[in-house]
Amino acid sequence: MNGLIVNKFMLLILTAFFGLSLIVIYLPILVMIVFSFNSGKYQTLPFREPTFEWYVSLIADNSFINSFFTSLMMASLASIFATILGFLAAYAFSKAKVPAHALLFGIVVCPLVIPMILIGIGMRLQIVSIGIEPALWLVLLGQTLYVLPLAVINLKNRIDKIPKSMEEAAISLGSTRIKSIILILAPICAPSIFATLLLTFTFSFDEFVIAYFLTNFEVTLPIRIWTSLVTGFEPKINAVGTAVFIFSLTLGLIAQFILLFKQTDLDKNKA
Amino acid sequence: MGGSSNTINPWPFLLPALLLCILFFLIPTVNMVILSLTTENGFGLDNFKLFFSTPHLTQALYRSITLAISATIMGSVVAWPLAYFIVFCVNKKWRPLFLLAILAPFWTSFTIRAFSWQLVLSDNGVIAWFIELITGMSVTLGILYTMNASIFGLALFCSMLTTFTLYGALVSIDTKLIEAASNLGAKPFNIFKDIIFPLGLPGWIAGIFLSFIVCVGDYAVPTLLGGGLKPVLAQIMLSILKGTYDLSQAATIAIILAMTVIMCGLPLIIYGMLRRKRVSV
Repeated sequence: MNGLIVNKFMLLILTAFFGLSLIVIYLPILVMIVFSFNSGKYQTLPFREPTFEWYVSLIADNSFINSFFTSLMMASLASIFATILGFLAAYAFSKAKVPAHALLFGIVVCPLVIPMILIGIGMRLQIVSIGIEPALWLVLLGQTLYVLPLAVINLKNRIDKIPKSMEEAAISLGSTRIKSIILILAPICAPSIFATLLLTFTFSFDEFVIAYFLTNFEVTLPIRIWTSLVTGFEPKINAVGTAVFIFSLTLGLIAQFILLFKQTDLDKNKA
Repeated sequence: MGGSSNTINPWPFLLPALLLCILFFLIPTVNMVILSLTTENGFGLDNFKLFFSTPHLTQALYRSITLAISATIMGSVVAWPLAYFIVFCVNKKWRPLFLLAILAPFWTSFTIRAFSWQLVLSDNGVIAWFIELITGMSVTLGILYTMNASIFGLALFCSMLTTFTLYGALVSIDTKLIEAASNLGAKPFNIFKDIIFPLGLPGWIAGIFLSFIVCVGDYAVPTLLGGGLKPVLAQIMLSILKGTYDLSQAATIAIILAMTVIMCGLPLIIYGMLRRKRVSV
């Protein structure tokens, strides 16, 4: 079928364009990785002697390590909260008759189609006007809100494909609703739930603006990186960037891989 | 028993998520609207009048909109050949892998990606070094810390996002439709014009819409690639909250930014509604 819509000449052009795009996308990241091993304080070519200096100084720098663990904790909790809340909400939207369905679904998904800075600023103004001090638990709730739409949409897609009859069978054999969700529905959705956890984790791990607005002194990794980038150059920032890149990339790729390939597996089984 | 098992009470499932959205999204939004309308002499539009009579704020708004529109247009144009290539030129088995190749950097920090372009675009960056290597002349690029650098950085992001949404639309096109058209003698261009383009349109529009939202509210690319001298609205908001702390001004700017999104998104939303109506008829 491929030959029907793309002739040889077009194929050549499209392939070249795709290749060129990959170069443009990956060039700066490769440069950053190369520089992270480059000795010398200034980020200029040609490449000097290779060094692990920046990685060593990164590990020795408590402010980076601490902010990494803060981010790790925030993102873990936010992804777990969002996946649980998202699973429950997705179940309701998929299997129950929800009054004002479109409106409520819109409210839950809305944070996805609002510039993130507006969510952050709204929450900041709110806590100031009712007199709550900025703190990490607010960041946690804010980031949960921010990744919740991803969880709801992802899990709803999965739950939609499971026939209601499965659950009904369990219930008519004497199971309760809750039991049938935990013992039947959740295991069937396990790959999607896992992917959703990873996906929401990566998004909240990289989230900057909500965290920036809702804390004063506790610093997450994106805030630490941002401060370093806007207040003056630290050569180890290349090493930080490389580490963060590889860390998020691994998690994001696993999530994306499960979502893309598991879905094709499902379709195959159906056919 | 039979009756109760068929009707599920949605509220216990829905309430936790809904509560979070109401407390941390709806109420703050209402609060922000009220705050933007509150002035020293009571309720009124004074904050908005002040905004539109302050040149450096209206210029920032203009910059935000220009930046977002340029980046979105560029990204959405690039998305077509990319998504088209992945869906129609790549073996079905390998499609997700090709998509992943384009999307992989998408999963890493937005800030880090913007920063990595500094290394390439700056006056002593990789491009300048490469030109010097080839021509032997040292050049001053003057790209970094300009509006064009911002547009470029955001356009790259938009092209990834739109490729992703467009891919979703193109990959679900029934191949029988294309085979039938071809068997009946349709030329490749006509297949594209009459089948692929209209069916890809919803995915494309969704990508454009999401791209615009991200671009108009972004502060990272405008700061790291565009520099701080000609700020966009999001940068000004950031500096107000960490600096002068004029809350009603921050709220006013936020509302204006939200209105911009709504106004630019409105044609797309109306289009979507009309389309849905046409499909259901």
